[in-house]
Amino acid sequence: MEPADLKAAQAGTLESMDCLVTITGPVEGRVIEISGNAAARFKTAMERRINDVLDGFGNSPTDIKVGVQDNGALDIVLGARVEAAYARYIGRAGR
Amino acid sequence: MRRTMLYLPGNNPNMLLRGHLFEPDGLVIDLEDSVSAGEKDSARILVREVLRRGEFGACEVTARINGTDTEHWRKDVQAVVSCGASGVRVPKVESPQTVRDLDEEISGAEAQAGIPQGSVKIFCLLETAFGVWNAYDIAKASPRVTAIIPGGEDLAADLRTSRSREGTELEWVRRMLIVVARAAGVDALDTVFPHVSDDDGLRREANFVKQLGYDGKSVVHPNQIPIIHEVYAPTEREIDNARRIVEAASAAQARGLGAVSVDGRMIDAPVIRRARFTLVRAGLASDSESKG
Repeated sequence: MEPADLKAAQAGTLESMDCLVTITGPVEGRVIEISGNAAARFKTAMERRINDVLDGFGNSPTDIKVGVQDNGALDIVLGARVEAAYARYIGRAGR
Repeated sequence: MRRTMLYLPGNNPNMLLRGHLFEPDGLVIDLEDSVSAGEKDSARILVREVLRRGEFGACEVTARINGTDTEHWRKDVQAVVSCGASGVRVPKVESPQTVRDLDEEISGAEAQAGIPQGSVKIFCLLETAFGVWNAYDIAKASPRVTAIIPGGEDLAADLRTSRSREGTELEWVRRMLIVVARAAGVDALDTVFPHVSDDDGLRREANFVKQLGYDGKSVVHPNQIPIIHEVYAPTEREIDNARRIVEAASAAQARGLGAVSVDGRMIDAPVIRRARFTLVRAGLASDSESKG
C-alpha cells in the first residue's frame, strides 16, 4: 500500500502573547506537543483547549500531530491559532 | 466621543488584547492593510475570538474590513458583526452604492446573529478624489453611516502628490469634508498622523483639525493618544463657562422658560448644545447628556 502524502499547515507567530501552531499528518491518533515557557504549568489546560477546538470541527479529527510553540498566548489566542491551522490543513481556510 | 481611534493590527494578539489599556476613545481592529494577503483567514479567526471574549474597557470597538472590491469583505463583515463590533470601517468608498451593499450585508449579519437591525454603524474612508467628490451622497446613503474620514497616503497618491508634514495636499479635502459631515449629520474623523515620534507635528495637526471642527483623529501609535486628548481637552475657563450655561439652561427649563440668559447675554440652543459637549470632553458629563 502506498503511504499517504504528508501534509502540514501552520498558523500564528512566535511574537509575544502569540503561539505558532503546526499541524502535520497523517500520524496515528491525535498527538499534541507543546513547548515554550508556560508549557509545563498550563499543559493540561492548553491540551483541553486544543482538543475542544479540534472537536468543534466535527468528526473528532484524528491522525494529526499538533505542535504548539508558545510565547505566552492566552486561551483565546491559542484556540484561534489552532482553528486557523486546522482549517488550513484541511483546505478550509477562512471558514 | 471619538477624539482618538487606535488602529490595532488584526493578526497581532499583543496589540489586540492590550490596545484598550492605552485608553483611546475607540479601537479600529484592522483586517486590511496591516494583515498580509496570506494571513487574512488567520487574522479573521483571531479577531472573531478576541471580539467575542476580549476586554475593551470603555472603548468603542470597530473593525476595518477589506475593501468591497476584494474577496474578503463579506467574510470580514460576517465575522466582526456577529461577534459584537459596534462599527465597520470600510476603505476606499467611492459611491453610495458601496454603502448600500455594505448596509445590506451588515443587515444580514445582524439578522443571523440576533442583533437589533441598525445597531452596527458604518465609518467611511474616503481615499480617492472620486470618493471625496461623492462624500455627501456617501454619508447619506445609509442611516448606519456615522462618520466620514479622509484618506492619507492613498488619497495623496490619488491626487498625484505625496504627504507633507504641513498637510498642504489634504487641506482642501479636510475643509470640504467637515462641511459635508455637518450637512449630513455624521462625525468627521481625521486621518492618521504617520510620524509617530514627531509630537509637535501631531499637536499642530490635531489643533488644526480640531479648529476646523473635526471630532477626532485616527491613531497608529498609543503615544499619540494623550497628545490628542490634551488638544481636545477644554480649558478651565471653557469648562466654567459651559457649566454656567448648562446650569442656567436647566434652571430655565425647570421654570418653564424658553429663553436663557447668562451674564446678561441671551443664550440659544446651539450654544447650550456646545456647552454640554464641552462638559463631555472635560469628562464631566456623558455623551447621552450632551445630546439631551
